Amino acid sequence: MKKQNELGKKKTKKTWIAYLWSAPSLLLILLIVIFPILYTGYISFTNMNVYHWTNYTWNGFDNYKDALLVLDNGFIAALMFTVLWTVVNMVLQLVIAYVLASLLNIKNLKLRNLYKTLLIFPWAMPGYVSILLWKTGMFNSQFGLLNQWLVKAGFEPVRWLAGDVIAFVCCTVVNLWLALPFMITIIDGALQSIDQSFYESAKLDGAGWFKSTYYITVPMIKAIITPAVVITAFTTFKQFDVIYLLTQQVGAKTGADLHTILTYAYEKAFITNNYGYSSAISILIFILLIGLSTLMNRQNKRAEVDE
Amino acid sequence: MMQKTKNEVGKMNRGKRMTKRKIRQNLILTGVNLFFIILSFAILVPILYALSVSLNAENSLLSTDFSFIPKHLTLQNYKAVFVEEPILIWFKNSMILAVITLFLSLGTGIPAAYVFSRKRFSGRKIILRLLILLYAFPSLLSMIALYKLLSPLGLINTKLGLIIVYTGTMAVFALWNMKGYFDTIPREIEEAAMIDGTSTVQLVLRIVLPLAKPTIVVTAMMVLIFVWNEYIFAINFMMGSDTYTLAAGLYSLQATEMSGSWPVFSAASIVVSLPILMVFFALQKYMTSGLTAGGVKG
Repeated sequence: MKKQNELGKKKTKKTWIAYLWSAPSLLLILLIVIFPILYTGYISFTNMNVYHWTNYTWNGFDNYKDALLVLDNGFIAALMFTVLWTVVNMVLQLVIAYVLASLLNIKNLKLRNLYKTLLIFPWAMPGYVSILLWKTGMFNSQFGLLNQWLVKAGFEPVRWLAGDVIAFVCCTVVNLWLALPFMITIIDGALQSIDQSFYESAKLDGAGWFKSTYYITVPMIKAIITPAVVITAFTTFKQFDVIYLLTQQVGAKTGADLHTILTYAYEKAFITNNYGYSSAISILIFILLIGLSTLMNRQNKRAEVDE
Repeated sequence: MMQKTKNEVGKMNRGKRMTKRKIRQNLILTGVNLFFIILSFAILVPILYALSVSLNAENSLLSTDFSFIPKHLTLQNYKAVFVEEPILIWFKNSMILAVITLFLSLGTGIPAAYVFSRKRFSGRKIILRLLILLYAFPSLLSMIALYKLLSPLGLINTKLGLIIVYTGTMAVFALWNMKGYFDTIPREIEEAAMIDGTSTVQLVLRIVLPLAKPTIVVTAMMVLIFVWNEYIFAINFMMGSDTYTLAAGLYSLQATEMSGSWPVFSAASIVVSLPILMVFFALQKYMTSGLTAGGVKG
């Protein structure tokens, strides 16, 4: 009995000390991260906008209804687009990164490390700088390199970011350019961790390239690359910079009307100044992200925090 | 048995096919090399083009005889960046923000990450779960709330306001990332020291911190890079180009379809990117491990 009591005391003390050590960090997070999210939740139930900045009133679930039930408002469309964007980008990324990483691992490729360094370069550049360089250097309709080449070859110049489809292609190209180095590095690392003897015996058993890829490579790298792929999928889903900087900067909209959920929330907040509505969108996205990450955690038990 | 015979047959065949195979292999190798040379060049085109434009004296942008090697080298555009644009002020602003954010988020993050990795206490699991969710939440989405909260405090258009925003985002990242790394350090060393009667503070200072150096370095770099690259809060919360950070400044320098100087912008882009490039390649070997060790679980 006494011992249990002492143990209990010790545990309380341990808890106390643990919180003492982590208090500064947790307090910061509480004040700067959690409180604003809760406040966003509060704003989402009001009609706060540029005309009602201080004298806003409570309007219940109106904002949520507007977002989810009124299709013309564009949230559902933005969500669909975001899913499409994520799927297209992830599939292309995985396929291209796999092919390139496999090629990098061909035997006797002496300049392998040089190629790796060069291919990784886009990862090392600050993302927004790269995107702006693409926008002006490549896609600009007057002095962009692509149009210079087109004109030189005798074609008409193209307005790269003006239409929805063509802008989607351009955004995807830039996103791949930014994201592939990470994916190549991950897959390359995974490929190198496979014991070569598997391939040798498969070869002797008469398995061709396709069979050894399907039965050896893919299953073996799958477990290793899954965490990185999940992270990248989330990053792609939450993509803002590429689409915002390329097509819809304030005062420099290019005519394309592409919206991921994040650029949509941003536009509702800072362009049309509908703060209540935008906050409702933020909360919906938050709930969506919670749902997705819970789903991922359940699927991949190893990703759980507690051991 | 089967394996062995097959092995032997394989060896015999190998001898016969050696020369033919070698020729084929060389052909493939040449092809792959050629492919990678072209690909590397293609990938670097946007950067090479910017570099070339920034160094070119004659603004022959619209001429048809453009080449990647500037015909008349000049540093005029770089001079313009430093003399005509307040880039040094932006640099100073970025550095101040980055360093303070770094100290706040790591100073508070290291002890918290250590405790969350090593101790078991009530509430730990719930907080860790909450942290994953916060990690998934882009701070962009609470921008209005932050604006609305900071503005009555007079913190809009001040460095302190941005520091507060950045510190919040980075505190979650630092705690989570470093906790993941601490989990991978074996406890035995600490336990041994504990038996010797070392106090917890001493233990952390003398043993844990040196062991955790890689993650501290990488986390610190990620914080610096984050502040260096963050533009969306900076352009919305800061008014007037004197208060801009490098990222916001560069954003304001952009050449649009109609206005702005593309050569000066490209020179500025190169200047802004250089420090990040150097840091990245210096720390490249840590980048994947240091990043994924903690981030994986998010």
